Amino acid sequence: MRDKSTGYRIFSVINVGFMLCVLFICLYPFIYMLAISLSSARAVINGWVSFVPVEFTLDSYKMIISHTQFRIGYTNTIIYTIGGTLIALTLMCLMAYPLSKTFLRGRGILMKLVIFSMFFAGGMIPNLMLVIWLKLNNTIWAMLLPFAISQFNLIILINFFRSLPDSIEEAAVIDGMGYFGILAKIVVPLSMPAIATIALYTAVFFWNDWFYSLIYMNSNERYSVMVYLRNIVSGQSMAGAAAGTGSSERTTVYATLRATSIILTSLPIIILYPFLQRFFVKGLTVGSVKG
Amino acid sequence: MNSESRYVAPVSARHQLNAKTPLRKHIRKYWQLYVMVAIPLAAFLIFKYVPMFGNILAFRKFRAGGSPFGTGWIGLKNFQRFLRDKAFWRAFRNTLITSSTNLAVNFPVPIIFALLLNELRSLKFKKLVQTVSYMPRFVSTIVMITMLNEILSPTSGILNLILKNSFGMKPIYFVNEPRFFRALYILTDMWQFTGWSAILYLAAITGINSELYESAMIDGANRWHQTLFITIPSIMSTIMVMFILSVGRLLSVGFEKILLLYSPENAIVSDVIDTFVYRYGIVNNNYSFATAVGLFGGVIGVILVSSANFISHKLTGDGLY
Repeated sequence: MRDKSTGYRIFSVINVGFMLCVLFICLYPFIYMLAISLSSARAVINGWVSFVPVEFTLDSYKMIISHTQFRIGYTNTIIYTIGGTLIALTLMCLMAYPLSKTFLRGRGILMKLVIFSMFFAGGMIPNLMLVIWLKLNNTIWAMLLPFAISQFNLIILINFFRSLPDSIEEAAVIDGMGYFGILAKIVVPLSMPAIATIALYTAVFFWNDWFYSLIYMNSNERYSVMVYLRNIVSGQSMAGAAAGTGSSERTTVYATLRATSIILTSLPIIILYPFLQRFFVKGLTVGSVKG
Repeated sequence: MNSESRYVAPVSARHQLNAKTPLRKHIRKYWQLYVMVAIPLAAFLIFKYVPMFGNILAFRKFRAGGSPFGTGWIGLKNFQRFLRDKAFWRAFRNTLITSSTNLAVNFPVPIIFALLLNELRSLKFKKLVQTVSYMPRFVSTIVMITMLNEILSPTSGILNLILKNSFGMKPIYFVNEPRFFRALYILTDMWQFTGWSAILYLAAITGINSELYESAMIDGANRWHQTLFITIPSIMSTIMVMFILSVGRLLSVGFEKILLLYSPENAIVSDVIDTFVYRYGIVNNNYSFATAVGLFGGVIGVILVSSANFISHKLTGDGLY
């Protein structure tokens, strides 16, 4: 079924060359950051670094790791990520399982509520007001609760649960098992591919978040590590919540520190990515069925 | 439960029966499912629907420490205020221009990328490119923008060094200059999402019946013709759905990214509705006013997505809902 004309051969060669460029463009920023983070400040200022570390040193790593605020932020991010993901998975499984039963009374209305809220939502301010009203601001719950139920992930899960054969549950019902037992002992173990996928989406969301941490929290003790990164980038103290700080001029001495923070904060994703990437894609194909 | 288990009918038949069983019997049998849905439903309603009603703050006065729904009606005062505000219309225009140019570029790019990926003969190489290309999707916006700042830095960034050493150019402060803002927005979006968005198209392409291609080959169609007359029409419905979704999101630009790229110097092109809301609401604590602006944006978003869906139904007989 392959075209064997000369034209197609030329195209194929160009195509492979193009794809090599794509690979380079996707990876180079990380290589560049890694090289800068392992180079001396002098080498970076003089523009000697492009692919490999120059005047290799671990100084900037030692400096960042010794920074209390970095360690607090990193710990917070780990807590938010693990806690947030666990809560999200629990709530979404509990919600998706009944909603996967077409005989559930009121299911239609609930599904409409879920879908409607994907298109129209309370904005940034009403969400903040709610968090403040519930006195969740500056507590860990401000991160763990509001984002627990993602409509997109919920629909992935509902569709997956619906695709499971009814006969397995049927047997459990005959054995007198309740629905909580069926969910925990039969449905969840069978749905591991879908659950792993949404666990990863959720974990990535929590790991990468800086904005909500910034607006829902107001003390150094609570900020996530991405807020730390943002503040290092803008050369700002932790107090600043001023708009847009992305592009004021900064001193090059800190370039190595910025690069180091980038490497350290992206480390889990970079390390785990090759192992987990197959799960990332699965969710998209499972979830593409209409809810 | 046990007394009933003797009468268990085949699943499909049972479900049909359930539609007619009286409510009391239904509840007795399935009460656990209703208990189960109650807790997450409460969380869902509190965190998704209460903020939705919280939009009412747009028509009310906010008092510090008071109710999140405000105290006392002020009618349409907030709306009159921002509709007369030049800065708002600048933000509105910027939102539309940024997102529509982004759509024009970054909507077709993943489709083309998927088509090109599909032409790679080595499956291993294809898999490698795919895997690497959707990695940027999992990188935090703040990490991406920091990397961008480093690469484009006028003092030590690699791009300016190349420009200086090869062309003798003066350093350009890319991230600060208004004229580069939109290009940077679009290119970073391309970097971050092309591989990821291509996945759905690739899945659709993989699903095409290979007999179609074989018969086309017999009819003498070359690869280009096959792409034009088989592949693209076959993935048209996927393209359509993705397009509706994108049009519906026209007003929600990558807010976090813009916030990170924003500077007073490039504000003329970078200030969008969301950064406007952020500045008035979060930075200046002008909650009621900022809610009104956010609500306005949200309502237009809903209108956009419903019209796109309506048009899609008219044109293709299928839509999002």
